[in-house]
Amino acid sequence: MLMTLLVLILAMGPTRAQQQRFTVSGYVKDKQNGESLVGISIGKPGTSVGTVTNQYGFYSLTLPAGEHELQFSYMGYAPVKTTVSLHSNKTLDIRLESSSSQLSEITVSGQKQEKAVNTLNTSINRLDIAQMKKLPTFMGEVDVIRSIQTLPGVTTVGEGSSGFNVRGGNSDENLILLDEAPVYNSSHMLGFFSVFNPDAVKSLNLIKGGFPAEYGGRTSSVLDIRMKDGNNQNFNVNGGIGNIFSRLSVEGPLVKDKSSFIVAARRSYIDILMKPFVKGDMKDTKLNFYDLTAKANYKFDKNNTLFVSGYFGRDKFGLGKDIDMNWGNTTATLRWNHVFSNRLFLNLTTYYSKYDYSLNFSNGSKKQEDELLQGYKWTSNIINYGLKPSFTYYLNTNNILHFGVQGIYYTFRPGTGSSVEGDKHRLKELTEKHALESAVYIDHEWKPTKKFGIQYGGRLSAYQLLGKGTAYYFNDTTPGIRRTLIGSKAYGANELIKGYYYFEPRLSARYAINDEHAVKVAYSRTTQFMHQLSNTASPTPLDIWTPSTNNIEPALSDQYTVGYFYNSPNDSYEFSAEAFYKTTDHQLDYIDNANLQLNQLIEADLLPSQTRAYGIELYAKKNIGKTTGWISYTLSRSERKTPGISLDEWFLNRYDRTHNFNLVLTHEFTKRHSLSANWVYASGTPGTYADNRLQFQDWDIPYNSTEKRNNYRLPAFHRLDLSFTLKGKQLKRWKGEWVFSLYNVYARRNAYSIYFKQNEDDPNKRESVRLSIIGSIIPGITYNFKF
Amino acid sequence: MKKLSLFIISALATLTACEDKIDLDIAPGKSYPVLDAWITNEAAPQTIKFTMSVPFTDNNPAPIINDASITLYDLTNGKSYPFAFKENAYTYDATSSPIGIVDHAYKLHVEYKGEIFEAYDTLKRVPQIDSITLKFKKKEEAMSGKEGYYATMHARDIEGGPTDYYWIRSYRTDTTRRLRDAFSIDGSYDEGVSDGAVFIVPIAESITDFDKPFQPNEKVIVKLKSVTKRSHEFLTQVDQQVNAGGLFAKVLENVKSNVDNTTPSGKTKILGWFGTSGVSRSEKPVK
Repeated sequence: MLMTLLVLILAMGPTRAQQQRFTVSGYVKDKQNGESLVGISIGKPGTSVGTVTNQYGFYSLTLPAGEHELQFSYMGYAPVKTTVSLHSNKTLDIRLESSSSQLSEITVSGQKQEKAVNTLNTSINRLDIAQMKKLPTFMGEVDVIRSIQTLPGVTTVGEGSSGFNVRGGNSDENLILLDEAPVYNSSHMLGFFSVFNPDAVKSLNLIKGGFPAEYGGRTSSVLDIRMKDGNNQNFNVNGGIGNIFSRLSVEGPLVKDKSSFIVAARRSYIDILMKPFVKGDMKDTKLNFYDLTAKANYKFDKNNTLFVSGYFGRDKFGLGKDIDMNWGNTTATLRWNHVFSNRLFLNLTTYYSKYDYSLNFSNGSKKQEDELLQGYKWTSNIINYGLKPSFTYYLNTNNILHFGVQGIYYTFRPGTGSSVEGDKHRLKELTEKHALESAVYIDHEWKPTKKFGIQYGGRLSAYQLLGKGTAYYFNDTTPGIRRTLIGSKAYGANELIKGYYYFEPRLSARYAINDEHAVKVAYSRTTQFMHQLSNTASPTPLDIWTPSTNNIEPALSDQYTVGYFYNSPNDSYEFSAEAFYKTTDHQLDYIDNANLQLNQLIEADLLPSQTRAYGIELYAKKNIGKTTGWISYTLSRSERKTPGISLDEWFLNRYDRTHNFNLVLTHEFTKRHSLSANWVYASGTPGTYADNRLQFQDWDIPYNSTEKRNNYRLPAFHRLDLSFTLKGKQLKRWKGEWVFSLYNVYARRNAYSIYFKQNEDDPNKRESVRLSIIGSIIPGITYNFKF
Repeated sequence: MKKLSLFIISALATLTACEDKIDLDIAPGKSYPVLDAWITNEAAPQTIKFTMSVPFTDNNPAPIINDASITLYDLTNGKSYPFAFKENAYTYDATSSPIGIVDHAYKLHVEYKGEIFEAYDTLKRVPQIDSITLKFKKKEEAMSGKEGYYATMHARDIEGGPTDYYWIRSYRTDTTRRLRDAFSIDGSYDEGVSDGAVFIVPIAESITDFDKPFQPNEKVIVKLKSVTKRSHEFLTQVDQQVNAGGLFAKVLENVKSNVDNTTPSGKTKILGWFGTSGVSRSEKPVK
């Protein structure tokens, strides 16, 4: 069906041309460093004709034959005006020079800016690294995940928790892409730092709703992080020395103008700093993380560019030599950009992504002569291989088609436990699971008039759980109680165990009231075939992912969005208001006391639940002037209903926050001094409180006699962070800056959770205890340099 | 395994974390009768406690129910043991002849407020504790920074046969108060990986309170108890609920009960658990 649509639209394209038309296309790059520029607007001043560059900096504009004045512009860059005489198809690569200061007011004529008021899509937030750098930092470090938490609709369960929640969705519903490869754990050191090295990040797009058909596989959001290409003009070294970790990156041309690379590394060093102070059991304590991000590209000719990028990161934690734990992501991406003609662009991506962890206990190092060697090891991983050719066909100035196919092959190794005792080895391995997720999609961006535009399309998703594997069958029982096994069936390699097929319609439309005001609506259906199993307060690095099976139906979500967008005439202010309503079926929940570890029959402990979320998001941003920043406010509700839990009634999700307010302000005193502030206020997350205790075998067991989950709310969360940047004098090449930061300035003890226990000194006293992950002011200092 | 790992990992977060006792305004909940019945093969008085639940932070002892009638049946040999109410609890003196016998099935019969309640369990085999060893650590050698004696329990899982489940409880000097609890499957944390193995290090070393290691003139007492799979699940759930702090704490969930009301159209619900254990006891004085 999609193909028919495609053929139809392709057929109607050329016949519509009344007069002879030609296409001008090319790449837009930064003059200083050769980075491709995304979202640059290309317009004919005084008309509504125009387009924007895509994710790879490519644009294509079809115009009637003749002379045309074109303007290339983007916030923070000096606009370039050029005249093209079109008598045949033309390639025009443009380099833009970044204006030295963000303070300068850039007035842009022409109608096509990549501004929220102008794009067709709702619910997309774009941040580039320059904006992220302006935010106050935690311990002096710029952080990708922390920066998106200042945007409307994004919350977290609490400080130090990994992941984030978008529009009332669970943290496993976010598709996090690093150069198009999925990343399964976005956190280092639990949730304190994200795995993305800011020195290697170019920009990010956070899509919260109105998903273009290109994206699938998660029901809540897409966080699309793009790495820098590397400077293809000059060699640069960037680095930073902070109190938690240090960074170093090198970038430069391999062949000037044609090829460049970037290699960026980070390592934390708490354990090294600790070393002189610890003895005995604490000696050899490992507590560190490191990551390496690298990318290279080669432009063969004007139509062919190849990119290769990779990430490797690891968190290590060990006590003495006897306990060794580590986990991390590995990704690799190979991309080929090919321009078939001035109007047909292909990006072909193949990727590999792996998340794994390993826990190891042994008495190897401190074993006495007569003692037995003893050890226990537990490992788990998830691996995927993906292929996605995606095409963009620029029919004419009013019509663009996006289409492509995608395939991901997954291997899950949920857990392997092994023990050693002397020369005896024992092994327990949960069977591997395999799955194929594939999709074909198309969407049509159509702007029939200056005022009205629509992007509509669909995605056909197929999910197949494949052998070699075993399907288990369980009986139905009272919901909330472990189901019992009634049978199983073994399948051979690549045999279909269970398949699910969906059509996901996608639609976004915009109506511009005038140049400043626009209203938009969007609808999208999304599906999710992977689930992270976690029944703790926040996901842990050891929570495994599991695929949909004959017992676990894929999650299916529908989201409706309406929005109003305003952009002031000189671009100094923008404002948006959006409302969303989202329902999801077959979210996972867990029976009480579920066994999620090394459990072959894990499906017997899972429950399907239904969720709904709705809310209003307000966002106001000031772009220009000495003081810049934004305010975001979200009023929302996120609930679920699970048979067998909380009396089968709707209850609040663990990550529900009624109010969520963020204020981000940056003031530049001079070119060298600036101060940033971030204040966040959010309603407390829901919690289940004990109204009873049971005396049992010397324990006091907390008990909730209402049997209603999340029946109370933790105290509200608020925090102020400040950061002061002092730029050094500009030397010939050396640029240095000091960043001083204060996190949690007024040292509020925000509640992460509230729990119930016996007093440690007097077990006859029982108390309720508030746990604050960060209970004091945390200063940070970092020196960043560039040469 | 995972729980222990998470415990260790989340210790990392305690670098910045803090805990404060707070007062909460919680609506009074419904009070339930709670049965605390754990029968062993020890030659000692066997005690069953029956109390009412109270608001969590109410520091008064739980009200005692004294008007129930409780009888234990050995379903394997047909014997019955009446438990008489005496000094706050229901007791049966098994000092001269232990009640518990390995592989016997038991039924607990409770009559309360005119309704009948029943619970079942089976007493499982238990290995001996071979020894307890002590290691003195100076302040700077110990992970917790506390000077004292750190104890290790040496025992080996019984090889072959069904999977074995254990509950290890340690005490300081006498058995009036629990010190530490640990739970194990075949000597490790998971089924199918350690049949017949020596109890792995993290479990063997779990009998010391790291914040208050043993001191001279104290005595380390350890009870290794066999439990059924059901009891093991119940106990580990209890353990998660009473140690619910930290970044990765389990959310509050209500522990299960195995005490069933068998009276047709019976209305009363009893919480708690009836379990049976084979017990190995070992002790070591600190000199």
